[in-house]
Amino acid sequence: MIPDSTAASVLQSGLVPQGTRVQVFSEIYWVFLGLGTLVGAVVIGYMLYNAYKYSYQGGVDEEDRPKLGEVPTGGGKGKKLFLSLGLSAIIVISLIAWTYGTLLFVEGQTGEQGVDVEVEGYQFGWNFNYLDDGEYTGVNTTNTLRVPVDTQVNLYVTSADVFHNFGIPELRVKTDAIPGETTETWFEASSTGNYTAHCYELCGQGHSYMDAEIIVMEEEEYQDWYDSQNASANNESAASVAAAGV
Amino acid sequence: MTDDNQPRTDGGTATALPGDSHDDDHLPPRWSLKRWLVTTNHKDVGLLYLATAMFFLVFGGVLALLIRAQMWSPRAPGTGVLSAMAYNQAVSLHGLIMVFWFISPFATGFANYIVPLQIGAEDLAFPRLNALSYWLYLASGILVFASFFQGASYAGGWTLYAPLNIPAFMPSIGATTTVFGIVVFCASVTVGGVNFITTIHRMRAPGLTMRSLPLFTWSWLLTVWMMLLAFAALLAAVMILLSDRMLGTTYFAATTAGGSVLWTHLFWFFGHPEVYIVFFPALGAMAEIFQTFSGNRIVGRKWFIVSMVLVALQSFIVWMHHMFLTSINLEVKTLFMATTIGISLPFDLMVFALIYTLIKGRIRWDTPMLYAFGALVLFIVGGITGVFLGAVVLDYEFRGTYWVVAHFHYVMVSGVTGLIAGLFYWFPKMTGKTYDEFLGKLSFAVYFTGFNLLYFPLFLAWGTPRRVFAYRPEYVGWHRLASVGAVILGIAFLLIIYNLAKSIVAGDDAAANPWPYSTTAEWAVASPPPIENFPGKPSYASGNLEFLDDGATGAAAADGGTAATDGGHAALESGHGDDHHVDHASLWPAAIGLFTVVTAIGLSGLQVGSYPEGLEGLFYQGTSVLGVLGLLGSITAMGYENFTAHEGGLGEAWPFEGVENTKLGMWVFLASDVVLFGGFIGAAIFLRIAYGWEAWHPIPHNPIPGLVNTYLLLTSSFTVILALVAAQKRSRKGVVASLTLTFLLGLGFLANKAIEWVVLFSEGTGLDASVRASTYYLTTGLHMGHVIAGLLITAYLIWRAWNGAYTDGNDETLEYFGLYWHFVDIVWLFLFPLFYIV
Amino acid sequence: MARTKLYTGIYVALFVIATLQVGVEQIGLLESSYMLALALITVFSFVKAVVVAGYFQHLVWEPRSVTYVLVLGFVGFLALTVAASYSIL
Ligand code: HEM
Ligand SMILES: [Cu+2]
Repeated sequence: MIPDSTAASVLQSGLVPQGTRVQVFSEIYWVFLGLGTLVGAVVIGYMLYNAYKYSYQGGVDEEDRPKLGEVPTGGGKGKKLFLSLGLSAIIVISLIAWTYGTLLFVEGQTGEQGVDVEVEGYQFGWNFNYLDDGEYTGVNTTNTLRVPVDTQVNLYVTSADVFHNFGIPELRVKTDAIPGETTETWFEASSTGNYTAHCYELCGQGHSYMDAEIIVMEEEEYQDWYDSQNASANNESAASVAAAGV
Repeated sequence: MTDDNQPRTDGGTATALPGDSHDDDHLPPRWSLKRWLVTTNHKDVGLLYLATAMFFLVFGGVLALLIRAQMWSPRAPGTGVLSAMAYNQAVSLHGLIMVFWFISPFATGFANYIVPLQIGAEDLAFPRLNALSYWLYLASGILVFASFFQGASYAGGWTLYAPLNIPAFMPSIGATTTVFGIVVFCASVTVGGVNFITTIHRMRAPGLTMRSLPLFTWSWLLTVWMMLLAFAALLAAVMILLSDRMLGTTYFAATTAGGSVLWTHLFWFFGHPEVYIVFFPALGAMAEIFQTFSGNRIVGRKWFIVSMVLVALQSFIVWMHHMFLTSINLEVKTLFMATTIGISLPFDLMVFALIYTLIKGRIRWDTPMLYAFGALVLFIVGGITGVFLGAVVLDYEFRGTYWVVAHFHYVMVSGVTGLIAGLFYWFPKMTGKTYDEFLGKLSFAVYFTGFNLLYFPLFLAWGTPRRVFAYRPEYVGWHRLASVGAVILGIAFLLIIYNLAKSIVAGDDAAANPWPYSTTAEWAVASPPPIENFPGKPSYASGNLEFLDDGATGAAAADGGTAATDGGHAALESGHGDDHHVDHASLWPAAIGLFTVVTAIGLSGLQVGSYPEGLEGLFYQGTSVLGVLGLLGSITAMGYENFTAHEGGLGEAWPFEGVENTKLGMWVFLASDVVLFGGFIGAAIFLRIAYGWEAWHPIPHNPIPGLVNTYLLLTSSFTVILALVAAQKRSRKGVVASLTLTFLLGLGFLANKAIEWVVLFSEGTGLDASVRASTYYLTTGLHMGHVIAGLLITAYLIWRAWNGAYTDGNDETLEYFGLYWHFVDIVWLFLFPLFYIV
Repeated sequence: MARTKLYTGIYVALFVIATLQVGVEQIGLLESSYMLALALITVFSFVKAVVVAGYFQHLVWEPRSVTYVLVLGFVGFLALTVAASYSIL
């Protein structure tokens, strides 16, 4: 529907914020906040100015004022009205169009590279299954997600029971966890450390505490951890295959 | 018309109307409780709405204070004033009550009181249905109240997301009762919508064309149109939900492909129009107040109206902006991002129009103007922050956070602020008393401070997820500020209520027109207006409002003898013709409301197909039976009651000239029924697509029994036509015979269906067998419900026809029933192929 | 009433179309060419619905505005169903 070539050319123009989701969010957010505050201040300021200027002060009045029982009418200032409408439309539409480029960038990014993890919400916690080429690797964790720094992490999010929403606020990533569906999103952390993921959709009694720890590790550290997990997972699965094969 | 025997026009300032003294309205005095139970007068009903809505404001407000108390600190598990489940209930019911049981009914109160006055109508088209919508509203509110005493109330948020909303995850009976409450509320809104649409289109004074309709009336007209369609969609959603909870269908089960997303579609298809439904009446009130208090006619009136119409239409095509994080595809996101931005533009125009109206004004800062001005300021802040949400990449981060909470409180409570402006503006009209101006201004200062202290910090604490009480310590300061603001806003509401209560008791008498530059017709009559509203026939034909003396009795209501009855298909035979009296009292709406509560409480005990064990189950079963019997009885009694109301079409009636009130009402109702069935059919189609269209096969093995039913229904449609033809030929026998045939054909349809179901059940295909089975049983079941209702009416019609009704030239009832019956037929024409063939 | 004849004719036509509609299934068109059969069946339903609404419900003799009211409801249904279904394709 959206031709790749147009999308690509818009993305390459340099106008469109790209980078980690933290970067694009803050760039766009601050522009919106700046312009929004400006527009709000101008409009409300203008309101207050008129409110003050035209307050009733007695005196003679040569305007034709509304009278009881007249057929409701009104008009005038059409030019001014459409001028202001036009101005506001230009601001709003160009802002949104500008962010649309970033939307295409963000949406096009999932799964292109990096680590893949399936996230499964349940009442009231999170399972993380590490994937390789869409297949389960057998590495999985509960309520703790370990990821390497400076690497794109692709999340495939679903739910085992009710509607949840998985989000890591500092990393500006969030998506719905819907039973029977999978939503895709991604993030990239640019510094190591611990972050917290929350559930953003009311899901029952334990909703307020449905958090997960996100541990961003150095690449090597992560690899060590992953390999050790992988080894034990393989041992286990080998064991279970053996057991099943009896 | 006033009735000299009864002190109805109390309040001292009522003008005596030109001499007429019909003993017609049977309305007890205002101090008597009975009056409020039986009244059908639009002004009384308006006051009932306002008072009840204020009660729910306090109720919802107390819940909000509980939430804010819990949010005072981030709570460790098990600490704080509320338990986790109590908190979830508080959050959910706060939202539900404020949105459904406070704001809209509050606006409905004003509309009831003011709109007929503004358009020059003596009352609404169907006064008893108006009372009925009030009593259904109250009934729904009582259900919500009762839900707290049945285990636990609903605890899954006001958006009722699936599958948390089904018994597997929320088993309490109280949750079912809450959903039932919403169903009844939808019914109330539909009845009210039909009534207002008919009234505003058909009962305007001569000269009051659509273009010159006052802006409050315009905003309300668009509100009820949006309500009619949006609430029908919600009704479909909550009926399906009820069926999942009570009967055990599996639409929203976690295992149903697409079930959860289906809910979000159904809910937000209603939910987005709802935000304008909430805001429009306030916008209309603000427009009136800006004009009156600035002494200017609104700038760009035509464009203001065009913008409102555009918003009302567009509001139905933006709903997926609440679903940007679900699994919907990028193309659809793009489309809905565009429509969302599109809908903000007409709003810009309206805001500018209001602002420019101030220019060169002589602005008086009375309390109503302070509130209206404040409301506009708040709305601008809310609108700007809404644009943030419209940018999908930003919404990805804001969704589910306090940013959304702050945004919608700024816009919605801006609407509340606008309605409070209306409350002060119309208070003298409605009570005949003046409020205390100083207290009013003081309350505004407290209100505006409290509002911003409460909601602005929520933007700054936007990192907090919604509906949690364990949040990050860095936000404590902002949340505490908000909690303080909540208390201050609460105090402002108390001040407002105190001011108005005190003024009702001890205020000075108000003049008919207390405001210098008001123009609309409500200010041209006494405060409060007499029961028949006007001292003569209102007309704008000369370009100015005049009350014409039509000579006959000198009374306003002697409107050429075209009084017609309201309500149902059943009541029309009476009162057509030459008697000049109109009625103002009926006990049956209240009775229907009462038995609705009883029925719903009884049925709420039904869970996934069975009642609880033992005494509890007995209680629920007994209550259900009692309720249903009471409902049938009171509906029949209402149908049989002689009740005369005003007929429209005497002045402006565009675009429904020549379509009688009752006929138009029926058509408007059917339009909402189209959306109701549309919701069910749309749900079935959606689930089928999610499942795989061609992998899904019809539940019945064979289309032939369905074809037979198609024949039966088509034939019964034909016999209804024959009944009408016979009535026109004044053949009593013909009418009775045709109707009896219709009845038998309908019974045949039901019997055929019953056999089909029994066979399917015996094969083990129950409602919960698969989602295919669920959609099949429920959708055709809804249709069957319509058939049964039709047969009950047919039985009544046969009885009446037997006694000689309809063949005396008054055959409209048959015609209107036919409209309904053919509609049921048409629906089947689509259900049959969908569920039996393809 | 002169219209009795008209009504009877319409009734017969409806009867026939209903039969044809099932005929589409009986001849096995659904198996051989699903889309065509689906389209035919849908068209038959619409034809019947329009005829019932137009004549039995007298819409052809009412002001057009009444029809538009119903169309409004129908368009609402279409918007919901089409957009929602499209969103998961
Ligand atoms: C400039 C106009 C507006 C725009 C662009 C806008 C946009 C949005 C968007 C995109 C959302 C979804 C946020 C999310 O959940 O991620 C939203 C939420 C909401 N908006 Fe607005 N909005 C506007 C005006 C209004 C108005 C006038 C009202 C009501 C009077 C309103 C009431 C709401 C409500 C109640 C919600 C949240 C519902 C919920 O999730 O519980 N908005 N708005
Ligand atoms: Cu919305």
